[in-house]
Amino acid sequence: MKWYIDSDRPIYKQLVEQIELRIISGVYSPGDKLGSVRDLAMDAGVNPNTMQKALAELERMDLVFAQRTSGRYITEDKKVIDEVKKALAFREIERFFEKMELLGFGKDEILTLIKKVEEGENSNDNTKR
Amino acid sequence: MLGKLLKHEVKATGRTFLPMYGALLILTIITKLVITIGAPDFFTDNIATGPVAEVILGITFTLYVIVITALCIMTFVVIIQRFYKNLFTDEGYLMFSLPVKTRELIFSKLLVGLMWSVVCCLMLVISIFILSLGSFSMMEVVQDINMAYTDFYTQFGMSLNIILFELFLCMLVSAISSILLIYASIAIGQLFNQHRVLASFGAYIVITIVLQIIVSIILVAVPLLANLDILFSGIDGIKAAQWLINGTTLINLVLCVIFYFCTQYIMEKHLNLE
Amino acid sequence: MIILSAKNLTKSFGKKIALSNINLEIPRGRIIGLLGPNGSGKSTLIKLATGLLVPTGGEITIDGAIPGVETKAKTSYLAERTYLNGWMRAEDIIAFFEDFYEDFNRIKAENMLKDLNINPSDRLKTMSKGTKEKVQLILIMSRSAELYLLDEPIGGVDPAARDYILNTIITNYKENASVIISTHLIADIEQVLDDIVFISKGEITMTSTVDEIREKYNKSVDGLFREVFKC
Repeated sequence: MKWYIDSDRPIYKQLVEQIELRIISGVYSPGDKLGSVRDLAMDAGVNPNTMQKALAELERMDLVFAQRTSGRYITEDKKVIDEVKKALAFREIERFFEKMELLGFGKDEILTLIKKVEEGENSNDNTKR
Repeated sequence: MLGKLLKHEVKATGRTFLPMYGALLILTIITKLVITIGAPDFFTDNIATGPVAEVILGITFTLYVIVITALCIMTFVVIIQRFYKNLFTDEGYLMFSLPVKTRELIFSKLLVGLMWSVVCCLMLVISIFILSLGSFSMMEVVQDINMAYTDFYTQFGMSLNIILFELFLCMLVSAISSILLIYASIAIGQLFNQHRVLASFGAYIVITIVLQIIVSIILVAVPLLANLDILFSGIDGIKAAQWLINGTTLINLVLCVIFYFCTQYIMEKHLNLE
Repeated sequence: MIILSAKNLTKSFGKKIALSNINLEIPRGRIIGLLGPNGSGKSTLIKLATGLLVPTGGEITIDGAIPGVETKAKTSYLAERTYLNGWMRAEDIIAFFEDFYEDFNRIKAENMLKDLNINPSDRLKTMSKGTKEKVQLILIMSRSAELYLLDEPIGGVDPAARDYILNTIITNYKENASVIISTHLIADIEQVLDDIVFISKGEITMTSTVDEIREKYNKSVDGLFREVFKC
């Protein structure tokens, strides 16, 4: 999975998000061992100190824990992962609403549009069958 | 570290010199063959065995002289160029980043420059020796040398070796001071922001002129001083010669020290690579 | 732990003042970008750190010592120009570095030559400018120094090699070593930097971390640089 780091926001925050995504989408499974800070940094093309900061943040969020000698592991606690999943979903939805408001749509219009798109997809599925 | 610098310096300069020395040896042998065939009595009679032989002899000799001259000039040029190019152009960024002392940089160039100067002289001697093989007998030469020693001892009460040694020392120190003068001139040139090469030449010329003036003053003033008359009265010609030789050695030694410290100071405190 | 410290550092060339009153402390284990327009004094600062120049005023120390033989053994300097002698082959210059620097890793250098498709027995004078610069960079990064000073390391290099070089800098990273990169190609290296130092007309105008700038100004360091140093 590629790392998407844009230029305007703090790098470590983006790294946190990207790793969250990998955990939620299953690229990293619960209990998986993470590579070394340096390997991760090289993979992402960032400074190891920055990656270290991101991992520290993830540890604070309890998504990642460190075993003293053997390295860092993804948490096995499904609850934590679910909560992060929800938080991410909420963030995306909020962003979506922000954008739609910019385009001039009110909340009710937005819900109608969503239904339309959903139905459109269903009919597409039906025609494909 | 000095050893490593020396090694590297020899490698870098050997590439230029060894082929030239090879060429000299080959040319010497060819010239020798030409002489042997075309003018066997060359050293006694200087007559060639015919017009063809004369032409070939002429050409060969010209080549020989050219190669010898080129060799001497090359030695001089390489001494200058190694110091300037390796330390004061782009390569200087590498050399001055090395964990070596400034004096090691100077000495490595100086010693290798001196070495090649000595080799140049040696090669000339060997080359002439090869050319003149057969025109003398070793026995005669040994006899002549022995006679020279005994005659000298008889006349002056000391071994010829002493004078030879003093002369050798004089030439050595003089060679070193010449090289250090070049280095100091290059270093002085570095003090300028523009036209550094020109400034180096200028410094060299100015220093040489100043030295000449001082030497002239000494040569004129000294004999006029009454004291020295007394000092020299009753001394043989040979003692006077010794005074002259050793005096020159001493002066050159002082110059060596001055030039060296001038060079080192500039390199340590006023380095400004472009 | 501070690896480089400059106190009231000033350098002038005749009447021209290249650096004035520079105060800087670089901790170990950081990758720092020294950023500024041409002629701002970046190269001068680096040369003072390597001992190639001597301060006119103030002082600069590497690990507490004035630049000299000791510090040169701990510092790995990539100059902005090609400083390698043309007649040498790549393998000759590797032997040279191995000779003079105890911390030089020959195997690493040889591997990097291979990665970049450079033939060790090629003579330097037959190489293109870009290739020569790569060779120089390989030599510098194959050392295990405590302070790396890179003056425009990615300037004349193609984008693929640029990535390779930045990767090398990341993987070379050691906790007790620091890397100072002087460049104006900020966008390419921003992700790799911890801290940045803006320098202009011989003076330090800003020091910060990359993330602090992004947090505070909502733009990349490259973006901020363009704004600050707009012509």
